[in-house]
Amino acid sequence: MNTLDAHTWLTDHGDYLFRVARRQLHSDELAEDAVQETLLAALSAQARYAGDASPRTWLTGILKHKIVDLIRRNVREVEIPRDEDGEEAIDLLFVQDGHWAEPLRPWGNPHAEAELGQLRRVLDDCADRLKPVMAQVFSLREVAGMETEEICKELNITPTNCWVLLHRARLFMRQCLELNGFSKVGAV
Amino acid sequence: MNWMATCREATELASRAMDQRLPLSNRMALRLHLAICKNCARFSQQLQEMRRLFREEAAANDDANGLTPEARQRIASELQKKLGS
Repeated sequence: MNTLDAHTWLTDHGDYLFRVARRQLHSDELAEDAVQETLLAALSAQARYAGDASPRTWLTGILKHKIVDLIRRNVREVEIPRDEDGEEAIDLLFVQDGHWAEPLRPWGNPHAEAELGQLRRVLDDCADRLKPVMAQVFSLREVAGMETEEICKELNITPTNCWVLLHRARLFMRQCLELNGFSKVGAV
Repeated sequence: MNWMATCREATELASRAMDQRLPLSNRMALRLHLAICKNCARFSQQLQEMRRLFREEAAANDDANGLTPEARQRIASELQKKLGS
């Protein structure tokens, strides 16, 4: 492997790496950082690249670690089992005895009805409204499909906190999607 | 947890069931609750819908935007800097 390869990686795999990062980080800027750090790390590590995986697979493996690093750096307080804001917001969804405060409305067929670009905007907007740590745990689980144990380990949080964060994130996301037109108007 | 889960507790169980196989007692409590509660049954179904949607959208995004020319340029010059050092 020669030094030309770093630029070839960018040309051949830059867009791919960017999209992988973008869908987990929900931010163009962070995704660009992830690509840059991946390629720089790959450059330092190229001696260790045995060539038994394709360059894309190898680079994607490095990217995965860089994404988690970026998340860790961007989430200042990862250990937040008692996130008061989150707790209060959830309290609003339920009444005292634990029943739903408002009935849940059925969803239409979001995929059929929304243009892809529009759908992406709603998903990003809703993810943006979550606390950063919740948004990240949510994306790693629901978008990237990482196992919960793996997420806990990488972000150094306990499984219980992971479940609490996921539960809250899902409640918020569901609510947010419903408020953004996912529900069938008038349906009961 | 009481033998009969409240809606709030049921949403916790439904959420956790998306991540791991629940212990039998929790599984029973959830199933019982979902059988009689329309809202929570809907919640549980929408969690799965949400996952499908996010993953489909992410997959479809593979054909969408890549790096902007500016970002590409910036990354290329960072690489060059490192190559030169």
